[in-house]
Amino acid sequence: MKDFRIEQESCGNIQLIRLQGSLDMYSFPRLESQLQTLFQQGRYCLMLDCSQLDYIGSAGLGALIGFAKQAREHDGDLKLLRVPERIYKIVELLGFTKVLQVYNTEETAIASFQKP
Amino acid sequence: MGLDKQIDVKKSTSRLFVRAPGHGSSLRHIRTVITDLARQVGFPEDEVAKIEMAVDEACSNVVEHAYNANRDWSWKHRDPDIRLTIHTEADRLIIQISDNGKRFDFAAYRPGNIVDRIRAMRSGGYGIAIMRKFMDEVEYKSDDQTGNTIRLVKYLKKS
Repeated sequence: MKDFRIEQESCGNIQLIRLQGSLDMYSFPRLESQLQTLFQQGRYCLMLDCSQLDYIGSAGLGALIGFAKQAREHDGDLKLLRVPERIYKIVELLGFTKVLQVYNTEETAIASFQKP
Repeated sequence: MGLDKQIDVKKSTSRLFVRAPGHGSSLRHIRTVITDLARQVGFPEDEVAKIEMAVDEACSNVVEHAYNANRDWSWKHRDPDIRLTIHTEADRLIIQISDNGKRFDFAAYRPGNIVDRIRAMRSGGYGIAIMRKFMDEVEYKSDDQTGNTIRLVKYLKKS
């Protein structure tokens, strides 16, 4: 059980946010604050690297949808990267993959932002 | 198990009792207890993940809604804790989650279809729908003696 951690780096105009630990209703406000700051800076192209996540609750998933919606309204998006299989099965089963795009590699995720 | 000192776990011959502060910091510890137990009982990992999420949604609702600081709790004189009683019967795992917080009109609540909410990109309101989707039985009761209790049941399906 890892503590929740967030790291951020830029890949050109895309922000890569690496998450570690559990994204639940307790930890989510920290990510929410970081995403709001990025939006205030006009950065709407976001990739969330989930490879080190061990849990995502509905509070986190629902809020990510809200952020993806806001990002798309500004010609950006919020995409998920390297979602662990255990989490992916739940996210897909619930239907969140119908609106949140998930990629297995950084390269394909970055390329998807560049498509017209 | 590496739990915080505030999390109290007791085991009798047939039941596991967990008492934790009604605070978000308790959630990951509760999930650890639940997932460990569900694996011991024999659920496959896909079902363990569903049980984990259903219990987390129930406990998150307690923290976010029942004990929301802006609301009047139903029983302010009692500890704002979350109490879990977990046991198995022949073919099922039964998890009861109790609190002393604000009552909820569970019977009247209609969360709607999860996929419809997702397609509409709604950011909240998934918790109870997820509990109903992932567990075989979900019941809620509230009374002055025991507070609010949500009862989650998952059947062990033998293949």
